Amino acid sequence: MSEILLELKDICKSYPDGSEKRVILDNVSLSVQAGEFAAVVGPSGSGKSTLLSVAGLLLSPDSGSILIAGKDVTGVSKKERTHIRRRQIGFVFQNHNLIPFLKTEDQLAFVQDKSLKDKIRTDDLLRELGIEKCRRQYPSKMSGGERQRAAIARAFVNDPDIIFADEPTASLDAERGRAVAEMIRAEVKRRGKAAVMVTHDTRILDLTDKVYRIENSRLVTER
Amino acid sequence: MRYAWKEITYEKRKYILIELLLILLMFMVLFLTGLASGLGRDVSSAIDTMDADQFIVDESAEKLITVSAVETGLLDKLRSDGFEAAPLDIQRMHIARPGSSEKLDITYFAIEPGSFAEPEVTEGSPLSESGAGHPILLDDNFKAEGISVGDKVVDPASGYEFTVAGFVKDRMYCHSSVGYISGDCYTELRLAYNPMYQTEYHAIAVKGDKAPDIDTEKYEAVSKHDIIQKIPSYTAEQMTVTMIVWVLVIVSAVIIGIFNYIMTLHKRRQFGVMKAIGLSSAELAGMVICEVCIISVFAGAVSLALTFGMAAGMPEKMPFFLEVPNALIVTAAFIAISVLSSLISVVNISRIDPMIAIGGGDNE
Repeated sequence: MSEILLELKDICKSYPDGSEKRVILDNVSLSVQAGEFAAVVGPSGSGKSTLLSVAGLLLSPDSGSILIAGKDVTGVSKKERTHIRRRQIGFVFQNHNLIPFLKTEDQLAFVQDKSLKDKIRTDDLLRELGIEKCRRQYPSKMSGGERQRAAIARAFVNDPDIIFADEPTASLDAERGRAVAEMIRAEVKRRGKAAVMVTHDTRILDLTDKVYRIENSRLVTER
Repeated sequence: MRYAWKEITYEKRKYILIELLLILLMFMVLFLTGLASGLGRDVSSAIDTMDADQFIVDESAEKLITVSAVETGLLDKLRSDGFEAAPLDIQRMHIARPGSSEKLDITYFAIEPGSFAEPEVTEGSPLSESGAGHPILLDDNFKAEGISVGDKVVDPASGYEFTVAGFVKDRMYCHSSVGYISGDCYTELRLAYNPMYQTEYHAIAVKGDKAPDIDTEKYEAVSKHDIIQKIPSYTAEQMTVTMIVWVLVIVSAVIIGIFNYIMTLHKRRQFGVMKAIGLSSAELAGMVICEVCIISVFAGAVSLALTFGMAAGMPEKMPFFLEVPNALIVTAAFIAISVLSSLISVVNISRIDPMIAIGGGDNE
């Protein structure tokens, strides 16, 4: 359980704000082990999304380094980053962001690497997440909770090292939101993945192993 | 391919509407293509279908058979040089049925009976085998005027009378139906107008591409293609209709491009998400191009079927003639331009930042 799957070292990121420079992340470091479910909280605009984007290889940091499964991926090419996002990272977004014209099973097949077909079986994922009956349904025919669970299934389909969840409960009511967070936790533990969840929802923080807070552009450990 | 098809079937209504629009446009394009070559044949088919490769005309005639004059001696010289050659005179006049005052347009092709310039009859018998005096072979179009084999037709001004020996198919010159007569009849007819008329030919048709040994100061050997291009009105008509056809092809293809582009703009977020979860721009571009291919190939196929179906039920006199290779070229160009125009969408997709997937749309 001790393998560190995600490590951020001294990440700095700032945006130009008029003539000044607005520092969003100031020397942020974070490491997440296999089987660990970490939460990042903070007021909106504090840099949670930026942190997630940098860690998720969607945005390049100004300085610092990013290691995924022990490998430094800070300066890799755009093409390589796309490949890493597909194979080693799973995203769960705020609004499920499923593809409207695909049934659940196709959502998974669409992104799944063909060589993983036997290792990660769609059937198992859907059963674990309790959405077997949605297998042949379009997102528009599913409930909010079901959609988010389908999105979780999609995030796990390529057997990634890390899961990034961006406010996964924001569009759900308390009960369903909690259920979704529980699902993420269960999958992370079962499959031994690292997970980072950005959230506002303090009621689900008890499900996470560690809580970090972004304050004044710095990341502090809260629990 | 599979996912492109899934998207199309999911958004059926949208795609059916655009398909309908494209099918109508393409149908119009193909129909015009048919009319263009139909019109072209209306002008040139009597020359085009003649089994000759070049025509000897007089050098000052500017490749126009009807104003050319060739001495009869040249025919014998060409033949003794080993060429297969046949004389040809073209004269536009009128005919009428005996006792009728209604004049019908006709272009006489005066030929040597039995030579390769004489077309095959679809009804009746060839000039040389017809027992009747002054035989004439008429284009099918005269059948619609109620004329049939064995009937008499007259030249209204001189009263010179022909007997219809047979009919030939698709022989037109300059929008006028052709009647084939022998050179002797032609001379007699001309003499009826002008007692001073001296036999000479407008042109000599020659088989084969070998350059004949002629006095280049006086004569010129012109290819069949060039002769057709010089027929009055041929080039002008063809250019006009061909231009309309290609403008329409481009317009319909660009419509696909624009439709596709608007769809892409609507789906920016969706593409951003796809990129965020690790699909490459190339994969997304592949999907978009695939979609355009499906739409355009389908529209092309349906309109081809529609056009050929309609051509089969078209009345005889309509100048419509669709050549399969022509129709295929137009359709292929349509598909190619559609795919090209979808490249705008591809460029747009490659510029989408996957960051838009994070933070519910607002880039914090």
